[in-house]
Amino acid sequence: MYCTGYSKKCGTSLLKTVKVNTIEGDNVFIGIDVGGTYTDAVLTDGKSILRKHKTLTGHDNLLPSLLEALDAMIEGQDISLIQRVVLSTTLITNIIAERKYPPVALILVPGPGLNHGEYKYNTLTHIVSGAIDYRGREAVPVGRGEVSRAGEDIVKKGFKHVAVVGKFSGRNNAHEVLIKQILESEKPGLTVEMGHTVSGQLNFPRRIATTLLTCATREAFSGFVKSVIKSLAERGLRAPAFMLKADGGTLPLETALKRPVETIFSGPAASTLGALSLSPKGQTSVVVDIGGTTTDLALILSGEPLLAARGAKVEEFLTHVKSFAVKSIPLGGDSTVVVREGQIRILPERQGPAFCMGGKAPTLTDALVYLRKAEIGDREKAIEIMEKLAGETGRNSRDTAGEIVTMACQTIVSAIEQMFINWEQEPAYRIWEIMQKTKIRPNNIVGIGGAAGGIIPDVARQMNCTAIIPEHAEVANALGAAVAQPTVTISLRVDTERGRFTVAEDGSTGAVPQGRLFREEDAIKLARERLFHLAEELKIKDYVKKTEVVHCEVFNMVREWTTTGKIYDISIQTPRDILFYLGQEETVDD
Amino acid sequence: MIKSDKTGLVFFPAFDWAITPTHPERQERLLYTRDQIFEEGLMDLPRIREYKPRLATFKDICRTHFCVPGVKDQVTHAHLIAAGGALVIADALMAGEIRNGFALVRPPGHHAMRVVHGNRGFCSINNEAVMVDYLRKKYGLKKIAIIDTDVHHGDGTQDIFYHDPDILVISFHQDGRTLYPGSGFTNEAGGPTAYGRTLNVPLPPGTTDEGIHYVLEKLILPVLDDFKPELVVNSAGQDNHFTDPLANMKVTAQGYARLNEKLKPDIAVLEGGYAIETALPYVNTGIILAMAGMDYSNVVEPDYSPEKFILSREKKEWIEKVVAELTAVWERRDAIDIEVLRAKSEYFQRQKTIFYDTDGINEYQTEKFRLCPECGGYLAISSQAYHYNGIQHNILALSIPFNGCHECREEAYAEYETGIGRKIYDYVYFQDRVSDTYRGYSREKDREWEE
Repeated sequence: MYCTGYSKKCGTSLLKTVKVNTIEGDNVFIGIDVGGTYTDAVLTDGKSILRKHKTLTGHDNLLPSLLEALDAMIEGQDISLIQRVVLSTTLITNIIAERKYPPVALILVPGPGLNHGEYKYNTLTHIVSGAIDYRGREAVPVGRGEVSRAGEDIVKKGFKHVAVVGKFSGRNNAHEVLIKQILESEKPGLTVEMGHTVSGQLNFPRRIATTLLTCATREAFSGFVKSVIKSLAERGLRAPAFMLKADGGTLPLETALKRPVETIFSGPAASTLGALSLSPKGQTSVVVDIGGTTTDLALILSGEPLLAARGAKVEEFLTHVKSFAVKSIPLGGDSTVVVREGQIRILPERQGPAFCMGGKAPTLTDALVYLRKAEIGDREKAIEIMEKLAGETGRNSRDTAGEIVTMACQTIVSAIEQMFINWEQEPAYRIWEIMQKTKIRPNNIVGIGGAAGGIIPDVARQMNCTAIIPEHAEVANALGAAVAQPTVTISLRVDTERGRFTVAEDGSTGAVPQGRLFREEDAIKLARERLFHLAEELKIKDYVKKTEVVHCEVFNMVREWTTTGKIYDISIQTPRDILFYLGQEETVDD
Repeated sequence: MIKSDKTGLVFFPAFDWAITPTHPERQERLLYTRDQIFEEGLMDLPRIREYKPRLATFKDICRTHFCVPGVKDQVTHAHLIAAGGALVIADALMAGEIRNGFALVRPPGHHAMRVVHGNRGFCSINNEAVMVDYLRKKYGLKKIAIIDTDVHHGDGTQDIFYHDPDILVISFHQDGRTLYPGSGFTNEAGGPTAYGRTLNVPLPPGTTDEGIHYVLEKLILPVLDDFKPELVVNSAGQDNHFTDPLANMKVTAQGYARLNEKLKPDIAVLEGGYAIETALPYVNTGIILAMAGMDYSNVVEPDYSPEKFILSREKKEWIEKVVAELTAVWERRDAIDIEVLRAKSEYFQRQKTIFYDTDGINEYQTEKFRLCPECGGYLAISSQAYHYNGIQHNILALSIPFNGCHECREEAYAEYETGIGRKIYDYVYFQDRVSDTYRGYSREKDREWEE
């Protein structure tokens, strides 16, 4: 049995579920992506795709779509062979976009710096006195009375959730901990979220936003995760289950509860990882996902998906959530085409489906269908609308359709060029970073989405690249989830003059020996220990085998002309790789 | 120019460059500043646009400096990136992408003079001067003002523009009798063709916000009003701060921020400032907010209390006297009749001795300047450098101004060729800013090169 390609037919099951006899004794993996429009699922043994499934996502409740996809994967399958299940969902995206979360009040400890009026988060915000400096020293103690009064007001105004965030709380969390204690003892009904546990990375406003969103989405996320865990148990699935994060890593379901916001934007991560799995290992590729209204671009640099330099923007909030650098351009198969003053233009908007699919206006898809670069809908209708457009351009319909496709290619090519330029222009703070960032251009253009086959070969030709339109591209997201692995990163700051260390990722702190006794190798060893400690907390210790030092900086602290200590800034992580590459292999075909 | 409401920022802390591990100009210098501006989220503010620095080219350096023996002997990548950071801000400003900009870079530059035998006052390459000359060459700007707000006299910047009537250089600093580099007195007021275009404001140790704001309001702003520059540059040292370990002034983060709010520099370039914990995180945050037109009133050092910062009557009077003296200099700026001087000699000459504290070099210079009725006049510098380790360099350097006339170019070129023929010079240089070509000759290698 062979699975036919992408279909635009809108029905419950868009693809026949492919069933292939599983080779006995072989391990299998399940990936499910519950996206905004479609839910995809794959069952794979790491060499080929054994089953795939695609349905429309039921919007109001994601669980039935997820379970339908899951059932399609396990029906008749020996579930004892299933090694793991990885889920990617738009749950958090939906909750935040639709504001289906309880109100959260803020208690902030900004101290000196930006005017306090700059902290606008559209919710009840109390600013209390207190200050921690850049090295984690207390400059001003917390105003306890102010905290009590704030708690009083928050409860009076009907809030049940509070996010407590202090400037430099990643360097010293004492103020946040104290405020939580005061609130919990005086107002037992309040749920308090502390900033340093969400992110200890520098950037106070982003930490406020991320903590606020974590606090806001935790309940709904927890409800969903519990239902999923229950459903898995009901099916007798004992394989570990994971959630995909925006940075392409995964977390076990239970620990994802701690960090719900990190699971936002897992869709683009899933599609990038899927494309990575379907393209040659170790190369530099651009993933072009052409949808109905937008085209998403992602970069894979020497086999590693590029992470955005700064945290993701979630609705109006700038956050600390690490995500892939994905650029979205307003061009898709359903983009409307018009002729103005004899000139063809592709509008950055959708007025409905393609003309050949029963729509009203000509689209990019119609041009592709006319040119036989796509097989979809009613070609007679595509010919009809291209001839009508040709009447307006004064050229024949073949040239008109050709120009539309050329323009779409041009738009994509220049967006890709711009993305590389932006990457080259990302701020760098060290000499070696500036010296080494040389001009890199891709080897491959990997096309995903209905219109990819008609456009990507031209884009690749213009950029002197190899075009890859992978088999199974329509379930690339699910495949991306299936191949994603748990990852852990630790950003350690050690201040030997103060004898303290802090970890940005989980806000943990502790003591180190003061002075010269603590050397660079000790600092790296400590970073490794903290990484394993965090991995254990996240229940992914079994996956952590190797670690790599991403960067290590040592600053001599000199006071009055003598060295009084050292500051170490160390980042260490588990290698970023996916579980397996399917490359360009053919599907098992019977 | 397109109107933009953004403030450009290049942040280049050079976390992998130091003079020596424990030197004030070391990796740690901007570490806490980085922490503060990142934690404040300044880079995310809609009014801030962050830029990545680039490397200045050797040509950009040669347009301003004579590096002995050559550029590659005096600069490291860090110097090229610090100067390049200022050029990135200059380009962004000229492209209309930003309304003003701050190059928060190190190493600093304002003690680097036209001739560079080594590092002095932690400086090798004068970032502002390289940027100013770049702006003149690339964009044709003419009149530019540089206000040096570092606690040390900006003697390098003064040296480079001393004979240039188009570049106004005003430096206020702690009195040279009490602080490195020991110069910057009121009588250093520019060469005969550029008199008054160099103004030095020596201030008593212990000068407060009130003191520098008096200088700003009574002297600097009125002079700028008269001079009408196309661009104002703040050579933004931060060592007037009350906690600076190398100086003795009493300026606060608020004082520095307000200074930038009033001065409204188009471009600020970081210079010195070595109170890396107690001053820099706050002063830089204050300057960035002030330049972005945002409220900086909450940027206060933890140990700040206003009663510690009262300017004594005695110091106030000193400052008033200096300002009055300089106002008089400014008013007489066009009083020198060049023709009278020319009647005596076609050339103006002066001798200088320069000490390179960082590298231990003594330099003896003779500057010969042609009092040209057509252009700014070319400059011939003969310089002997005696390094602490016995190395000696004797050089001749010819510099043509941007508006150099035919006669000056010909005469200077003839002098360059004569210099090549004279065995006393180890190196001979020709800086032709009209054609933007920079040549050098090495006697040892008997070879000419061009940047």
